[in-house]
Amino acid sequence: MIYGDKTLGVIVQNITGRQGRFHTELMNAYAREVGGRGVVAGVAPGKGGQEVHGVPVYNTVKEALREHDATASVVFVPAAHALDSIMEAAHAGIGLCVVITEHIPVHDAMLAVAYAKLHDCTVIGPNCPGLLSPGECKLGIMPAHLAARGEVGVVSRSGTLTYEVVDELTRAGIGQSTVVGIGGDPVIGQTFVDVLARFEDDPRTKAVVVIGEVGGNLEEEGVRSTSLPVVTYIAGVSAPPEKRMGHAGAIIEGGEGDARSKVRRLAALGIAVASRPSEIPGLIREVL
Amino acid sequence: MKLLEYEAKQIFSKYGIPVPKGALIRAPEEVAAHLPELGGAVVLKAQVDVGGRGKAGGVLFAEGATAVVTARDLFAREIKGVPVREILVEERLAIEHEYYVSIAIDRSSRQPVVLFADAGGVEIENAAQADESAVRRVVVSPLLREIPPFLMRELLGGAPKELAPVINSLYRAFQQKDAMLAEINPLVTTPRGVYAADAKLIIDDNALARQGIAVNRDLSEREREAEKHGFSYVELDGTIGVIGNGAGLTMSTLDLIEYYRGRAANFLDVGGGADQERVMHAVRLVASMPGVAVIVVNLLGGITRCDEVAKGIIAADVAPTVIVRMAGTNEAEGRRLLAENGYRMLESMDAAVRAAMGVAS
Repeated sequence: MIYGDKTLGVIVQNITGRQGRFHTELMNAYAREVGGRGVVAGVAPGKGGQEVHGVPVYNTVKEALREHDATASVVFVPAAHALDSIMEAAHAGIGLCVVITEHIPVHDAMLAVAYAKLHDCTVIGPNCPGLLSPGECKLGIMPAHLAARGEVGVVSRSGTLTYEVVDELTRAGIGQSTVVGIGGDPVIGQTFVDVLARFEDDPRTKAVVVIGEVGGNLEEEGVRSTSLPVVTYIAGVSAPPEKRMGHAGAIIEGGEGDARSKVRRLAALGIAVASRPSEIPGLIREVL
Repeated sequence: MKLLEYEAKQIFSKYGIPVPKGALIRAPEEVAAHLPELGGAVVLKAQVDVGGRGKAGGVLFAEGATAVVTARDLFAREIKGVPVREILVEERLAIEHEYYVSIAIDRSSRQPVVLFADAGGVEIENAAQADESAVRRVVVSPLLREIPPFLMRELLGGAPKELAPVINSLYRAFQQKDAMLAEINPLVTTPRGVYAADAKLIIDDNALARQGIAVNRDLSEREREAEKHGFSYVELDGTIGVIGNGAGLTMSTLDLIEYYRGRAANFLDVGGGADQERVMHAVRLVASMPGVAVIVVNLLGGITRCDEVAKGIIAADVAPTVIVRMAGTNEAEGRRLLAENGYRMLESMDAAVRAAMGVAS
């Protein structure tokens, strides 16, 4: 498992919002199930003193950290204020910031990642489902019941497509070490390269599923950087050029980022590329 | 959102980048009024959002009174299928040398990247592919307000120093206007100084609101409907309608249709919280596309309530066959509701797409 285990203390930023409330409850239900610490405090400016599902709320990250031992934060703050919240967390000493918020302007994302780096804070996302280490911890919104503990790492730019792949793996009896959704935006904190480097250092992880999309060439960069066995799947091979399909990142740019040429380049590197999600478990068995 | 050349030039000009004197016209006769101010030799540029505009016949030169005839010719053209409604008429510059400069976002380093080439113009992309060293490249920390002198020296190499302030102005415009891309190709030197002969600016869609840019696109009725409900929606030309949640899963469903040699009619991502109302509107929207014989609904997620989705599908009550694959909470109830009303709910996306193929053929 990577990024954290049962002992990880978590805060939720904008815990009083609809999403923040709902997922705090789910994250803590999971923590209770696996015997982890889960969400120990929440932050919402002006709402200090309240409680959300038994979790105390503070006005600032600094105040929350004065009272609680936490090193990670999950951000549900609306796009217009997300940059400020990420900087606040990094400045206060949070080491891992998982940003669920979508539609953050890309210049804000660049500033957030650069500022966090100055404070040794790792950013996952934005526009991501977070991460899940089955049996250890869950930061974000992934449906935990689909996952099972095991030895395969999963790293993906998508949300629901990740759940699909995790479901396929679990049904095939293949458990996961950690599942990381890195986000679908053009600028994200942790890229495939960063996550694969963590998997490389993780004794439990024996192979990795890399789930990519049209846009950019970071899947290839990631796959080249690791010595672990890898199976890839790239969504969007049928996407026509210049049509934007949802994610800001999923738009084809000048030939390089289209899914077909990605698949070609990965195959040329000798990497197993699944042509549909249901092929992934079989391919993983071959490389394990 | 990609701005047109004249819009980009207006913005660049506000940031202190010299642009040629020019005027926007919407009818051929309007050109005459601008000739005295622009001089005898002018260039007419179709304001259309297509790449390779010059080669496609969208840029014409004219002298004096013949400009009206040339403008009439250009207004009558279609540039790569796009009709010409506006023309930018500009003074012709006495170009000494053409350079290339652009600022984009480097996904790998998560920083702005500035590209510069000693030879600009229409062939820049081919030149860059043939010889990578032809384009110099520096990344700049997003925490900085301008390109520091040491990086500027590296970028310019032997090119004239007078380009530096223009490139820094472009950098400020890139930052402050929330650009995904800011490009000047060519950036030209003339006896009167440096000019942005062309201009390209793409604004981040997630920043349009704070930039005060109203999106004024030509949307079809169905596209407007999709926008109203916050769906991400793209029309294609097949017969199998697709509704999914999440861009990746929806794209993957489209890919699977192609894998089984079918053709998708659309991409529709309902987004998070697929409740009864949203699902109903999504199903009705896709069913209203001509030629759609069957719709695949593929929804997956921890918080998707299958009974809500089932109610939405039943309430939509559309003519095309609806085939459902979903996983989430209250699955049994969702399955029961669908079965009672004669809908098929399948276990996997492979099974759902194969079933849809059966109906479509």
